[in-house]
Amino acid sequence: MLSIRFHGRGGQGAKTASRIVGTAAFLEGFTAQDSPIYGAERRGAPVAAFTRIAKKPIRERGLIARPDLVVVADASLIGDPSARVLDGVDERTVLFVNSPLTPDQLRARTSVSGRLTVLDLTDLALKQFGKRGAISALLGAVAGRLAGLRPESIREAIVRELTDLGLTAPVIERNQALAMQCFEAVQPVTLEPGPRAPVPSAQLRTPTYDPPTRGTAGITAGPNSAIRSVSGWRTFRPVLRPDLCNGCWLCFASCPEGAITIKPDGKPAVYYPHCKGCLDCVEVCPTDAMTVEREPEGANK
Amino acid sequence: MTWEPHIFKDLHQIPREEHVFPGTPLCAGCGGLESLRLASKVLGSNVVYVNAAGCFTNLAAFPFTPLDASWLYTTMGSAPAGAQGVRDALDVLIAKGRLPKEEDVKVVVLGGDGSTYDMALSSTSGAITRKLDFYYFCYDNEAYGNTGVQLSPATPYGARTATSPCAVRHPAGTMQEKKDIFEIWRAHKPPYIATVSPRYPLDLEEKFARAAQYSGPKLFLAFAACPTGWLFDPAYTPDVAKLAVECGIWPLKEAINGEVVHTYLPKRQPVEHYLKLQGRFRHLFEPTVQTDAIAHIQERVNTYWRDVT
Ligand SMILES: Cc1ncc(C[n+]2csc(CCOP(=O)(O)OP(=O)(O)O)c2C)c(N)n1
Ligand code: SF4
Repeated sequence: MLSIRFHGRGGQGAKTASRIVGTAAFLEGFTAQDSPIYGAERRGAPVAAFTRIAKKPIRERGLIARPDLVVVADASLIGDPSARVLDGVDERTVLFVNSPLTPDQLRARTSVSGRLTVLDLTDLALKQFGKRGAISALLGAVAGRLAGLRPESIREAIVRELTDLGLTAPVIERNQALAMQCFEAVQPVTLEPGPRAPVPSAQLRTPTYDPPTRGTAGITAGPNSAIRSVSGWRTFRPVLRPDLCNGCWLCFASCPEGAITIKPDGKPAVYYPHCKGCLDCVEVCPTDAMTVEREPEGANK
Repeated sequence: MTWEPHIFKDLHQIPREEHVFPGTPLCAGCGGLESLRLASKVLGSNVVYVNAAGCFTNLAAFPFTPLDASWLYTTMGSAPAGAQGVRDALDVLIAKGRLPKEEDVKVVVLGGDGSTYDMALSSTSGAITRKLDFYYFCYDNEAYGNTGVQLSPATPYGARTATSPCAVRHPAGTMQEKKDIFEIWRAHKPPYIATVSPRYPLDLEEKFARAAQYSGPKLFLAFAACPTGWLFDPAYTPDVAKLAVECGIWPLKEAINGEVVHTYLPKRQPVEHYLKLQGRFRHLFEPTVQTDAIAHIQERVNTYWRDVT
């Protein structure tokens, strides 16, 4: 049995990619299983999805703890402890990362080691489609290639899964074409499925509570969510050109996050650790003072 | 009669102080969060939020909270009942002299449209009838969003949701009309009801400031453009919110003791402008244009405005 784990950010298409691979394998006569994690996943937040492929019925269920192949749609997830991208990865695991960096650069900047394949799918999609959007077909094609599936079945699986999402034929064809380019661009590898060391079971600790006479569990801190950085959510960032800003405050009023503050001179400033990159400020700015830049990869955002 | 803001006339009057802080796991470009952040600038920090299960559950993901106010989490159907409990407790504490009157706090229900239009409707009706002194803030993303965008009574005709797909027997997707919760609330004659949109921030701030002078139920319906559920790039949240109002689909209005006043009269662009921005309506335009469905949506809007103006 082949176990593939997908990591992405909500909206990037990791879940659909897992379905494309599952469907393609099914079309080739394999037994397949695909499922995403359910956890109130938001656009931009880390998500994971799983595909299992086998010749025989698959009895295993649930998360994949020991993957043979890990497909990472967003390199910034590698450093995010909540995404757990490298959990259960060993020297036999093949890792694919969507990134403009070379494998060596990635190894140097992250804790990734071992068998690594890299391709900048985001850039290909941007060039082809002209705007940001899901890259599920591309991820599916790359994963399918690495899993040894055939191009015809991947093409067909893309049609089925994207049609299900309500996409129209021309859009699906464009996705298919680019997906096939990605398929070709990735060198096949030999995956080494087979029994792996079991995951050590977690040590449970019994939490201790204060007696009710002293108080109940609760957050008594102030607004502490602000200590969390959401920088990793961005694929693009708004950049202010102060010379063009007329100080109207529309961006400040429109930022859902409150990531834009007003400086003493009355002009706005984006505080990047709080910016999820929705780009609403760019859209509302009447003077085009808010511009868009692609997020530098691997940089310490 | 044209409606004039008394307090908020300039964007620079929007308080710079934040009460809903960054770092929540809500979606990038969430229109509901945008409204809440603006509302909180008027509500301040002396607030107990009573939150029905929904996307806003994610506001306070333990051990983090974006609020400098208190937060109580309830089931989907019972947030107004929770608000009653909190209000009663505060009143009792004040009456007994255990809480100084100056330290009183506002009680604010947060609910999605699933709870507001559907599961918590009886509980809301009870609270309004009992003249509970509270705010109700519904962020209307027109679906059960948190669980993957299923049909709710707030879903409009023609929208595609996970449980109302475009299908052979109902090519337009959702067949029902959006429930008119504003009128249901108004039938209870609460002192203050308003619809708001974050793309009209002064209108929003003004309404929250006005509501403050009324004691009793103060109910708000906030347009919550939802990139995740409505299938558009998060950058377009402001455009979707603007076109909803400009096409006449989301009327901005208030009702004081049942008297309705429209606070903004749009020139009314064709509804296509609004529909075309969103993936949930894409099937109305591709592969073939569903002329009848679009005309139907336009006709509903026309009828609304004919009846009110
Ligand atoms: C009684 C009950 N049924 C189902 C659920 C599961 N549930 C959690 S959030 C949610 C969706 C709520 O939808 P809505 O009120 O529209 O808010 P949104 O998620 O769109 O913010 C559901 C169905 C629940 N918590 N309680
Ligand atoms: S699903 Fe929609 S309403 Fe819910 S958090 Fe995301 S954008 Fe906001």
